[in-house]
Amino acid sequence: MEWKPKIIVFCCNWCSYGGADTAGTARMQYPPNVRVIRVMCSGRINPLFIFKAFDEGADGVMVAGCHFGDCHYDRGNYACDQRMRALKTVLTTLGIEEGRFYLDWISASEGEKFANTMTMVSEKVKELGPFSWRKNQAEIG
Amino acid sequence: MIEVNDMFYAKSSDAAIADAGEYGGAVTSILKFLLKEGIVDAVLAVEEGADLYDAVPILIEDPDKVVKSAGSIHFGTLNLAKVVEKYLDGAQDMKIAVTVKPCDAMTMVELIKRERVNPDNVIMIGLNCGGTMPPVKSREMMEKFYEFDPDSVVKEEIAKGKLIVETADGTEKEIPIDDLEDEGFGRRTNCRRCEINIPTMADLACGNWGVIGPLAGKATFIEVCSPKGAEVLEKAKEAGALDLEEPIEKGITIRKNIDNAMVKLADKWQDADWEDVKGREIFSALTEYLPDFSRCIKCYGCREACPICYCDDCCLEAHNGPDWLSKGEIPPSPMFHLERMIHMVESCTNCGQCEEVCPSEIPLAKIWHEVNAKVKDNFGYVKGTGENKPPMGFFPMDKMPL
Ligand code: SF4
Ligand code: SF4
Ligand code: SF4
Ligand code: FES
Repeated sequence: MEWKPKIIVFCCNWCSYGGADTAGTARMQYPPNVRVIRVMCSGRINPLFIFKAFDEGADGVMVAGCHFGDCHYDRGNYACDQRMRALKTVLTTLGIEEGRFYLDWISASEGEKFANTMTMVSEKVKELGPFSWRKNQAEIG
Repeated sequence: MIEVNDMFYAKSSDAAIADAGEYGGAVTSILKFLLKEGIVDAVLAVEEGADLYDAVPILIEDPDKVVKSAGSIHFGTLNLAKVVEKYLDGAQDMKIAVTVKPCDAMTMVELIKRERVNPDNVIMIGLNCGGTMPPVKSREMMEKFYEFDPDSVVKEEIAKGKLIVETADGTEKEIPIDDLEDEGFGRRTNCRRCEINIPTMADLACGNWGVIGPLAGKATFIEVCSPKGAEVLEKAKEAGALDLEEPIEKGITIRKNIDNAMVKLADKWQDADWEDVKGREIFSALTEYLPDFSRCIKCYGCREACPICYCDDCCLEAHNGPDWLSKGEIPPSPMFHLERMIHMVESCTNCGQCEEVCPSEIPLAKIWHEVNAKVKDNFGYVKGTGENKPPMGFFPMDKMPL
């Protein structure tokens, strides 16, 4: 069977999760290996969530929130943006491919953007292959 | 009136102190003055512990005992900011003066920004630093390079790039530090990479660099770095504790040149230390560090020793919050290190405490220093100075657009 990457997407309740919903009700296709985790606001996303997702076997992780100015809680997405930039600094210094982690803003009406983004992410991660820092460790012995 | 940015040659007006302290005993005099006048309740400094290779912190409340801490010690791995935060309750209820080398000073500033240390109660007397040396290796170095019994050494001094060592019977020997370092001895690895030699983030920055002319070797060069520092110096001068003189212009240039040369050397070490991973293809950089991390025995030593890791409810403990880490897994997943990193790396001052205590000799400070340098590039956040809050933990919500 063809290998499919495991992708975890953190969506905020008010916009991005709505975007996923819109994609669903409009019957747009996006890869079934994408698993959505809903949080109330992208500002709730602790960078450790992303590490934990990778640790538990995700091959790629995405964070999606409201566009700037649209956050239900005013500025949660600004905080998210700053945190994720910091996270990227750590990830890339330690050698996790940039292509395994994504951050984007998707509104509730952007069902198509949601579906397209998921397809894009899924394909990119697929090219990179499976990820595990544990397995890697074992290989090095 | 003494003002910020003023510079002086200073020496103690007390002959006994001028003798005991190095370079005119100016620092000792200032500390003693602060205690005597009741400006501070205690002085936190460093003294010789069991032997010359054992720098230990000392809290002094009696002005006459200040002289015990006089003189510099290069063999040691202390970070006094940790002592202030952890054992003196962040100076919340006591006024202290503390002697700080640049990494101590930077760590103090980070802890102040993180509201763990009360800046109103702390006077930082900065000491220039070109590096400290690891105790165990240094003993080895005495046998191997100096051919001295390590316990017979009574004095050490760094001057003009050489480590000068003197034994009890008066034998003296000097070896260029570069030569020692080429052989894997000399300064601690974090110190080699350290780019800050003059602690201008403290209230006063003191050292012997740049003292020339008739006072050479007999006075301390002091730069005033903050209004608080100016006030302290002004008072000490008025009380007659210190003799201050204008520095010689050429001396100021020499001091600057020494600093520049040290920064260049640090750059060289940074390049060498990070060469393995610099510009490396993605995965290979992680694989570079994985064998290191795989030696971890999860002893929590790095967290305990790190001055910035102060949390009461640390998320690396299984009972705090969700199970971030799988229980009973040794070596722990790299998650262990990444968690600590994401919490504090922007404030990492490359003080080396973590690496020093790691029983598995994982080059932690090297890795943290590297990520910290990237944070500086990406966020423009410079550790240990200024007013900006650490970018990963603080969000100036009021400054963000709606
Ligand atoms: S991570 Fe290590 S080098 Fe950095 S501040 Fe903590 S103890 Fe010092
Ligand atoms: S690892 Fe994180 S939670 Fe634990 S002490 Fe360090 S900063 Fe605090
Ligand atoms: S000090 Fe070393 S062995 Fe101990 S937990 Fe830290 S990295 Fe692991
Ligand atoms: S509610 Fe969507 S980002 Fe805050």
